[in-house]
Amino acid sequence: MPVVELSYKRLQKLVGQVTKKQISNSLPFLGLDIESEDKDLVRIEYSPNRPDYSTDFGIALGLQGLLGIKTGTIKLNIKKSNKYEISVNPRVSKIRPFVTGIIAKNGKIDDITIKQLMAMQEDLHFGIGRKRKKSSIGIHDLDKISFPLVYTTTNQNHKFIPLNSEKELTISEILTNTDVGKDYGYVLGNSQQMPIILDTNQQTVSFPPIINAAVTTLTTETKNLFVEVTGINKDDAEDMLSVVATILQSAGFILESIQISGTKNFTPKLKSRKIPISPTLVNQILGLNLTNSKIISSLKKSRLDASSKNKNIICTIPAYRFDIFGSMDLVEEVALGYGIQNLEPTLTPSQTLGQMNHVSIKLKSLSQLMIGLGYLEALNSSLTSKRVLYDMTNRDSEKIISVLDSKSQEHTILRDSVLPGLLENLSRNIHESYPQKLFETGTVFTQTNPVSEKINLAGISAHQDANFTEIKSVLQSALKTGFNIKIETKTVLHPSFEEGHCASVVVNDNHIGVIGKINSKIVENYKIRVPAVGFEISLSESILKSI
Amino acid sequence: MSQVFHDIEKKIIASLKENPTQTPETLGASTKLSADQIRRGIEWLKLKDLAIVNESKTSVFSLGKNGIESFKKGLPERRLLDSLKNGPRKMSDLQQELGPVFGPAIGLSRKNNWVEASSDEISLKNPILELPGEKTLKQIAIDNVSEKHIDKNDLSVLLKRPNFIVEDVIKSKEISLTDSARLITILESSGAIDVEAKVPEIFVARTHPLKDTIDEIREIFVTLGFSEIIGNMTQSSFWNFDALFTPQDHPARELQDTFYLDGILTKKTGTAEQIRNVSESHKKNWRYHWDINEARKMVLRTHTTCVTIKHLAENKPDESRVFSLGRVFRNEKVSYKHLVEFNQIEGIVVGKDATLRNLMGIQREFYKRIGITKIKFWPTFFPYTEPSLQTMVYNERLGKWVELFGMGIFRPEVTKPLGITKPVLAWGGGIERIAMLKYGLDDVREFYSNNLNWLRSVTKCQ
Repeated sequence: MPVVELSYKRLQKLVGQVTKKQISNSLPFLGLDIESEDKDLVRIEYSPNRPDYSTDFGIALGLQGLLGIKTGTIKLNIKKSNKYEISVNPRVSKIRPFVTGIIAKNGKIDDITIKQLMAMQEDLHFGIGRKRKKSSIGIHDLDKISFPLVYTTTNQNHKFIPLNSEKELTISEILTNTDVGKDYGYVLGNSQQMPIILDTNQQTVSFPPIINAAVTTLTTETKNLFVEVTGINKDDAEDMLSVVATILQSAGFILESIQISGTKNFTPKLKSRKIPISPTLVNQILGLNLTNSKIISSLKKSRLDASSKNKNIICTIPAYRFDIFGSMDLVEEVALGYGIQNLEPTLTPSQTLGQMNHVSIKLKSLSQLMIGLGYLEALNSSLTSKRVLYDMTNRDSEKIISVLDSKSQEHTILRDSVLPGLLENLSRNIHESYPQKLFETGTVFTQTNPVSEKINLAGISAHQDANFTEIKSVLQSALKTGFNIKIETKTVLHPSFEEGHCASVVVNDNHIGVIGKINSKIVENYKIRVPAVGFEISLSESILKSI
Repeated sequence: MSQVFHDIEKKIIASLKENPTQTPETLGASTKLSADQIRRGIEWLKLKDLAIVNESKTSVFSLGKNGIESFKKGLPERRLLDSLKNGPRKMSDLQQELGPVFGPAIGLSRKNNWVEASSDEISLKNPILELPGEKTLKQIAIDNVSEKHIDKNDLSVLLKRPNFIVEDVIKSKEISLTDSARLITILESSGAIDVEAKVPEIFVARTHPLKDTIDEIREIFVTLGFSEIIGNMTQSSFWNFDALFTPQDHPARELQDTFYLDGILTKKTGTAEQIRNVSESHKKNWRYHWDINEARKMVLRTHTTCVTIKHLAENKPDESRVFSLGRVFRNEKVSYKHLVEFNQIEGIVVGKDATLRNLMGIQREFYKRIGITKIKFWPTFFPYTEPSLQTMVYNERLGKWVELFGMGIFRPEVTKPLGITKPVLAWGGGIERIAMLKYGLDDVREFYSNNLNWLRSVTKCQ
């Protein structure tokens, strides 16, 4: 979840007539988690579906609504203008076909505002921009640019001074030598032609989606902004633009339109949508009995507009609220505006009868039996390591199931056996008193078509006098007493067990597992100073077979 | 009164009955026990209020250098008086005869009126049989004497004089029986043992503490009318993500968050109709090219929701309460807060009661049953539910609110493509978090470290 750092004082100024306490009490009810607080500073975690909450301007709009200071939608006032034009060259259509943008004038930006705008940009890139692949954004100092602009392509030798650089770099240098180039160059694939925005003097404005030109960098002196969004989908690009436009207007800028033309590109409308919502659905889902006017006022507190039409309510959704897909999203907006804290939990007696799963019932009985036999239950990860599963226990497997790119070396492959984990447990407890007797029931995995999952039981006993007879008695008693299953043991060789002290466990002529004295080399590998005996059987092929 | 005693205790009691006040040394001699056995035996009896131990200090006196000289030659004043026996003597002669002790001798004798001195002559005035200190000096000279057997006044005379007497302080123990101990009869032939003595510790075989929490939670949901369903840990991306409206280019689906099985694809995802409907919902709402091959990639489930949604898609119930419980996986760095593999509970309600307030009510009832009463609900975001809430519970030990279960109502974008027409309440969360609250743990890894010391000692019923 993305995090934004804000100042309470600044928020108070933006919201108006509100105490710090009111703000901190209200934030969670907007869906914003307070991660930490330090005097005036507060770090807030927000949901990736609400990029408008990436700045204090956006959060202030939400708070005004919730606290009833200002309700209803934020209307974008975009002054129509013919002064600003971008024409699109058809050559971009194969790489990054769409561009859109807006002009924002007469604003004041301080250091904090710049910081917040940059953070918003990054969050938009990561979230709805899908790491700049779907859409990306550039914010420029308007007064350093001469319109009209052209969105076109160039070759890898095109040179300009990019942001954060002192000297001119070629496109190919940017892609190979700079961090942003290395991180986001993948978006452009193998194309030789690179998207570029140039101004009327052939000066580079931006190399989307990688980097802006240094010349248009925002400073605290900047008053007028040019915002461009490029992308592979027109609607996504306009969604991104709508967030920025809303935030900039809230920050005090006056918006002006840009005329965009050429190959399926158009001037953005950033228009609101209308979605009907049935009061019956609202009340049914929330478990309330709200009047239409209460529903409408709740929607307005969520900074939407709504009005009654016949029995329905028609809701107006501003462009930047593209997280709203349909009526259920509006039910949530009603709930938020109504106040989650005002929803009293209710408990209706169940109409259905509860039941444990048969597998759980059998496993519970089995664990009671093992405990009765003096065995302590252990729990190990099913995602484990080659070291534990194979190297330490002499075992081998042709079909290891491994996971890609695990962040932990200890968790790279799925276990095909439970017993190795118990041996590992013994090795970590050599300083504890003996006898040590452990058991575990757990899922084991084998590569079939595609993966089969079975449940195994393993038990292990380690002490000075541990022997085959003891462990066979344990397994025999557990299965006989619990499930009236009789086991036989047939001599077999197994790399984890001592030759001559190892048997296959057979039930009704089916091999279901192995039992015996743990190979002394393994015991030695693990620095266990007493002998150990153990077994592992498939429960899926014994007690769970009929389920 | 009859009581069972250790052999050591028996011997000590017997000896003290014969000889009521003794030292450890005399007890050792009479019982033939070692010094250490005596020490332990006395300690046990003292704890049982059967023996009284008096620790005391005694001074023992012996002669110093001047004391020895005075014993051999007589006290300086005795020597002076002796030399006057035959009549007055000249001062200067005596001074020469007695040497350095002349001064103290004449001073003391005059002060006590034993002699009379003129300008240069001294004569005996009151002859005296035994001088102060003489008796004690003799007594100490024969054997070192403790303070009990000495005339304290007589001794004080000697103690004032330099290097006459050496005093040693000796600590000693005197053991005697209490009144009740004296009444004890020791039954030699009853065969009884010391039932009050300490015994070795043995360890109870038991279920794993985390399993206990899992079982407790399972039982609560069963009694709330829910039935348990189970499903595989390895799942197709289709059921883990696509069916839950998580777009294929969503950051959550990336390798860094999800465990993909190396080189394993499945042919079995959903039915043709399910695949068609799900892909259309994605294309329409998320505006991207949906790829069946992406849905075929096998993953370790990141939540148990894939099990419940599959159950719903297969059964399409009008009325249902089911839950699923099991391991889920996240590709995270293991830390005190995070595991790559942990347990999750996930429950759903379909039917008339499927309202947000009822969902909150079920949560409140569940928390009440595990002993958590201070809870509140906050809005939150999940890709597959709308509205979405999270429960915050107050952790008394940490003194702060912590997030527990997430919940919501499955989005129509999730349910419609799978042919589910009724609203579905869903909630779920990690079980280790609850178990951590229960067992007061700060490090979640403890549950899987199988540390016998902890497993054997942690209180089962909390």
